[in-house]
Formats: sequence, structure tokens, C-alpha cells
Amino acid sequence: MLEYDVIVIGAGVSGACTARELSRFKLKTAVLEKAPDLCAGASKGNSATVHSGHDAAYGTKKALYNVLGNKMYDRLCQELCVPFQRNGTYVFAVTDHDMDELARLKENADRNQVPGVRLLSYPELIRQSPGWSPKVKGALFAPTGGVVCPYSLVFALCANAAENGVDFYRNTEVCGIRKEGGRFFIHTGCGDFSSKYIFNCAGVYADDMNNFVSSRKIRIIPRKGSHIILDKKLAPYVDATLCQPPSVLPGGGHTKGMGLMPTDGGTVLLGCEAVDIGDKTDVSTTRQGLDEILSYFETSWRFLPQSRYFPEFPKNLIIGAFSSVRPHPDTDDFILGEAPDAPGFINIAGFESPGITAAPAVAKDLVRDSAERFGWEPNPGFNPIRKTEKPFREMTEEEMEEAIRQDPDYGKIVCRCEQVTRAEVLRAIRDPLGARTVNEVKMRTRAGMGRCQGGFCSPEIVSILAQELRIPMNQVTLCGAGSEILGKESCLEESQEEKEGSGA
Amino acid sequence: MNEMSYDIAVIGGGCAGMAAACAAKEAGAGRVLILERASWLGGVLRQCIHNGFGIHQFQEDLTGTEYAGRLIQMTKEAGIDVLTDTTVLQISKERTILAVNRNGLIRIQAGALLIATGCRERPRGALAIPGTRPAGVMTAGTAQRFLNLEGYLPGKEIVILGSGDIGLIMARQFILEDVDVKAVAEILPYSSGLTRNIVQCIEDFQIPLYYNTTVTRIEGEKRVTGVVLSKVDEKRRPIPGTERFLCCDSLILSVGLIPENELLWQAGVPMDPGTGGAIVDDTYQSAVPGIFACGNALHVHDLADYVVQESQKAGRSAALWVKEQPKDSAPLIHVQAGNGVRGLVPQKIRAGSAAVSLQFRPAARYQDCRIAVYSDDRIIFQKKERILTPGEMYSIHLKGTCFEKDLKVQVEP
Repeated sequence: MLEYDVIVIGAGVSGACTARELSRFKLKTAVLEKAPDLCAGASKGNSATVHSGHDAAYGTKKALYNVLGNKMYDRLCQELCVPFQRNGTYVFAVTDHDMDELARLKENADRNQVPGVRLLSYPELIRQSPGWSPKVKGALFAPTGGVVCPYSLVFALCANAAENGVDFYRNTEVCGIRKEGGRFFIHTGCGDFSSKYIFNCAGVYADDMNNFVSSRKIRIIPRKGSHIILDKKLAPYVDATLCQPPSVLPGGGHTKGMGLMPTDGGTVLLGCEAVDIGDKTDVSTTRQGLDEILSYFETSWRFLPQSRYFPEFPKNLIIGAFSSVRPHPDTDDFILGEAPDAPGFINIAGFESPGITAAPAVAKDLVRDSAERFGWEPNPGFNPIRKTEKPFREMTEEEMEEAIRQDPDYGKIVCRCEQVTRAEVLRAIRDPLGARTVNEVKMRTRAGMGRCQGGFCSPEIVSILAQELRIPMNQVTLCGAGSEILGKESCLEESQEEKEGSGA
Repeated sequence: MNEMSYDIAVIGGGCAGMAAACAAKEAGAGRVLILERASWLGGVLRQCIHNGFGIHQFQEDLTGTEYAGRLIQMTKEAGIDVLTDTTVLQISKERTILAVNRNGLIRIQAGALLIATGCRERPRGALAIPGTRPAGVMTAGTAQRFLNLEGYLPGKEIVILGSGDIGLIMARQFILEDVDVKAVAEILPYSSGLTRNIVQCIEDFQIPLYYNTTVTRIEGEKRVTGVVLSKVDEKRRPIPGTERFLCCDSLILSVGLIPENELLWQAGVPMDPGTGGAIVDDTYQSAVPGIFACGNALHVHDLADYVVQESQKAGRSAALWVKEQPKDSAPLIHVQAGNGVRGLVPQKIRAGSAAVSLQFRPAARYQDCRIAVYSDDRIIFQKKERILTPGEMYSIHLKGTCFEKDLKVQVEP
């Protein structure tokens, strides 16, 4: 039995923010993650957008924390060395009905106190952002909208929390929780834990966790959303997030609207559609879902400024697609705070969009409240700064020279599309919360995320992982046990060994 | 930073790069350098342990590895400098190269620059096949590398999507490795591979090859557990009701090759969306003076021999260009791809060129047709063909001083 003061269930963005906030206090804290890696659920597969908060309905927790969280991003990302850019969001209108919708959004944004939101007429729009089709009637511009790489953020939050004393347990699925004598007993697939407090950040499984200890049952509906990824060739022409109001879309209301989003890595995302499903583990893309995105962009492409450079929707720039399942609460708003009949059990549940944006503010508030109530003492050794190495592809020539002088592995490019070096792959594996699988290397370094999608570098990555983990290449996995990338050894090889064997 | 200068720098040490470098040297170029990012020369040939290479070039039936060996020997004997484990990060229109290896950054000023960077395989993502994203999906070339260079099979029960040459070659090799190849699915009504590979790799081994069929779903959470095959209509749209589940643990993709031209693209060298390579004249010079392109980086070839032939020409042209340093380039006439013609190379011809070869791929499968080349409205070349298929590149050799007006190539019934 491992004993802790606080246990955080889940290492997505809410769990990671919470863990880091908890490390500001003198507490023995652990994070339990069911997946082989951090950031394996909804925090991994989303639009990578830091929302301004213009569309979250006024009066909801979503709206409150969206705006508060957005404001925290500059400092947070600076402390953690995570790239963050406020590129702004345009919601554009092509019909009078859309324009009415924009007026409604503007009013909502003002009530939410989103800074700087403006309604632009078409002439104002093209003065600010040239190239929009004359068929566009106007747009709502939210300057505080931004872009962050969600998994870089989660890895950085966890690394910083770990540096400040938080323990992380991966591959550790919580199967049951009971409360006895003022402590929680947490039963997992890898041994038992106990703690005085629990933060429930379990994403789509947050209802199961809550319902173990509380009679106030909550219900999380898995809501699937898909995105299509376009090659970074488009990146020079995408400098802001562009979307249409959700209400104009087929099946609309579920999403924030179909949009085109730049990303930190330079690729461009299209999406997303959203559909409620029954299976919390189903992250498969569907023909219908992808077609919905494609047909939207095939018809709407002509409105966008990018159509000046790519007159037709550039289908040939598609390099991938992904889906993830978001935790949609049946109440439609975040479920935050202590379960009324389970003191010490604190929910961050139903944490769907704008969860990435809201997480820093939610974690800060809930941890601070708990600290006051439970009398937690500050951790004087807390260091908010996480130092990290700059990726090779972002270095100046002088920095590259210096990096190679110190470690010649910086001079060996492993992933050509994303210019990831052997040194960076090795570091991703050797880090304290390091990568054990090909996907984990990919998430930490971008190796395999480019236009060849790992065609060239996957053999090298598999080989490096095999060497570092001291296992044969065919035990290296894509994403944990059962996802081995290779089968048995070639029989030609075997027969050769046999020959050698018989000779000896 | 290490600074160097060379008369000719070749980016890529596969068969195109080596052939171009050797030919340049033979044509009198002074110092010639090959930059290769892998640890060895040879490019993809290193993993091609099957035979069928060298029939035109060496009048022998060699394996890809032997073929690469011959070229490596020639490269050594020609006294060409080689930097392996060296990745080019950037090139400029002024022909400077920024490269990196374990010793640091290198800046190279080249008299002429030859781009021989080869091609890459189209990945699953580009097809947007719906379904899960498990282990067990890989391109045929990656599977070939894992098997032939690392010694591991991709799985036990394999479905191959696409009938490109690498996929066909791998189908045969899987069978020889005692792996079950359940099917090859091709979305088109014909194969995009060479006829000889269809016969020798598929028919001879009785592997089911389904035309007008594609994978419409991938299943399996951690590892592939199966795929759904569907028939497609003439517009390549899946036909509802024709879905069929095939149990397998691997899906191997052989769905097309894309010339690898990120360096040219970044440097702003004009590209041809039809071939995916640079726009070149009949000397394989791009629109930027002194930058030449050849091999699969220029357009995807069927045979290594054809790559070598083309690259030798490019290497000779580059050597000549460095020697003569022509101030004004000759006026260029355009070669237009008409009906039924795709991926035409070269896109331009210098007026007054004595002999020119044009290469292209038929846009579809044609029977009993005629290939015609027009100069304005006048036919200057025609040839009857019984069968044309996109899987086989077509070459036209034009002679004489007929190149004054724009040309148009087309396939006619």
C-alpha cells in the first residue's frame, strides 16, 4: 500500500495542471494514469486551440474559467518553455443569419468580459486580414484566441510537477475507490494506494471515479470529434483560427463550429465534427465523420483567404486524421469541486472543450480552495520554471553548432520531415517521465508527425527504442503492450542460424 | 562552420545521385561531392534484395543490392567525394547548401547543384482511411526495410492495399517467408505496377488480387485485427453493401510514390504539380540556372536503369554548364501534356536541341491507340500502340531540328 496525501487520477491537461498546482504545497502527491503514457485521452486529440471564451455561454463555469484560463496562458507557457501564440480567432459570416449569430456571439463575449472582441464589417475584415472572399459578410474577431501544443503542455506540466516532488504512475488503472476512517483506498491494476484527498481528473471515466465514492451520481457521455491534418506547406497562409458559427453547420450545436486551425508544429487542422457515442474507448475515425469535414471544406474553401493561394481545397495536402473522445457532461457544464457526500473527493469532471484553456484556472482555484480549507502549507522549494532544450529545428545556426559540439548526436537527423535529431530522440526516452513507445517518442519530439508519417524514421525510432530499452526490435510497441510493431524474425535469418548451429 | 566549395554537389546518394556524379566526373567536372543522409550509399536499392535490376544498364539480371554495389564501386573509382550521415537542411537559388552531420554544420558552395533526393511513399494519412490507428499499418517500403535490413516481418496475416511495384514485390517475399497474404486490393480497374511484377509476384503465387476494391475501414485497438474491403464505382467511391471483413494483423500500403522535393520547394524553385518534381528543360536544368534534378525526385520511374540513364544525362549537362557558364540560357519552348498524358518530362526544350526524349505516363489504360506529338498543328511524331497502362512509363525519342514551336503530346484513340 502506497500512502499519499493527495492522489490525482488522470494525467491529461486537468490532472497535469492540478498536479503542478499541488506541488506548490508541502504534500505527498501522486498522479495515477491508466494509459501507458501521459496525455493519452481527450487532451491529446483536440484542436490545440486556446479559446478566447467568446462562445462559452455566459453564466456557465465553462465561460468563467475559459476567460480566466486564457489570461494565464502567457505566463504559464513562459514558465514551462512551451510555445504559445495568440494568433486570434475569426468567426466569419456568409449569410444574414450568420451575421445575426455573430451579433449574438459578440454580446455573449462582452458579458463574458473577453478582451478586445470586435465585430468587423467586410471592408474592416479585409483591411485587417486580406484575402477573404467578397461573399463573406463580416466576421467576429477575438484577438486573445491562441494556439498551444496540448501534449507539449501536458508533458511540461507533468515534468515540472515531478521536479517539484510529485510521483507519477503510468499503466495504473483505478478499478475501485472506497473511503474508510477518513482516508481513501484506491485499488489499481498495479497495487493499492491510499490518500486523504483525491482530485478526479479522469476525463471520460470521471463518472466512474465519482460514482465509486458518491451517491450523487454523475454521467459523462463520450463525444467523439475528428480532425484532419494538412501538411505544413499550408502554414505560411494560415495565421489565425478561422471558423463559421456552429449553428450554420449540419448537426451544428455540438461543436464550436467547423474551423481551420494553425498548430504549433506548423501543420494545419480541419475540424471538427462531433457525435455522441456509447463506447469510451472508440477513437476510430469514420467515413461519415471525415466526409463531413471534407465536404464542409470543399464547399466553404472559396470563402477563406487561403483560396487565393490554393484555389481549390488542397486535398493532396492531407497527411492524417485523428479522433478523440471528449468527456461531455449530461449537465452540459463542467462539474467542479468536492462531491457533496464525499469530503476530500474533488471533481474536475465533464471537462470537455474549452478544457485545455480552462484547466490552469480551474486547477489553481480548486487547489487554492482546498489549501485554505485543509490548511496545506506552501512548499518553499517550489520552482515554477521548467528548463528545456530548444528543438533542433528552431535553433539558429550558432545554436546548432554549439549543440553538436556538446553532443554529436545533434548532428544526426532521424526524422527528416520534422528535423528531429538522434539526440532529441534519446533525451525523450531517457527523461524521467520518458518515452517507452514509438507514439510516445512521436508526441515528445514530433518524429513521425510530418508528411511521410514515419515511413522513413519509424525503423530508426524502433531501433533506438530497442537499444535503449534493451529489448529486441519486435518487442517495441506503438502504444503499449499488444501493439508490437513487428512480427517474428525472418525465416531466412532463422535458417541461417540453424545452419550455423548445425555447423557448430 | 565548415566551408567547402565543389564544382558539382549532388544531394542524394542513391542510384540517381551516384549515376549523375559519375557521369559529371566523366564529362570533365572537377571536384564532385555526394551528400547522403543515410550511413551508406545506395538509397532504397540497399533493401531491394530481389532481382530484375540492371538488364539495360549492365546486361545482367542483378539484385538491387548488387546493382547498388556496382554503382558504389564506380563512384569510388571515379574519385568522387562522399559525405554520408549528412543531412542537407537547406539550399539556396545561388547554389549554397547548408548541411549537418556529427561534426557540425557545413556550408557548401556548388558550381552546379544536382537534386537526386528520390521519393517517399504515400502514407495511410494521405488516404484518410477511416478506422482505428493501431500498430500493423505500414508502407511497403518500410516493411521491406524492416524485413531486409533488420530481419523482422511485419506480421502473420497480411492484406496489401495498392498494387504498386513495391507492394507486389513484398507480396511475393511474404509468401516466401511463409506469411499469409490474404489479398491485394487495388482501387483502380488495373494495376499501377509493372506487368512483369503482376505475373511473377502475384499470379505465379496465386495471391488474390481484387481490382476496383479498396480498404474502407481499419479495425483493431492495439494491433490491426482486420480490415473492411469495399468495391468502388467508376468514380472510386465505395459502393454500400459490398463491404467484406478480412481478418488480418497487418495492412501494407503500396499506394503511390511522391517525389521528395522539400529542399527545392523551400528554395522557391518552380515545381510541376503533375510530376511532383521540378520543371526542367531537356538538360534536366530547373528554372533556376545551375540547379538540376534527376531520378525519382524529378518524376517517379519504373526501373532503376531508367533512373540511371536519366541521371547520367543530367550529370553530363551539369558538368557542361559548369564548364561553359552560359550567360544567357537558350530560348525555351514548352512541351504541353495533352489528352491522356500525365507527368510529362521535360516540360521545356531548348530551341535548337538536336535530340530529345520525352517521358510520360498514360493517364489511364488505353487500347489500340496512337501517341502523337504536335508542333503547332503539325504532327512531328506518331506511333500506334496496342496497350498503354499508367504502370509503365512511355518514352518518345525525337530527333532533328524541329524544335522551334511549342509541342503537345497526346494519346489519341
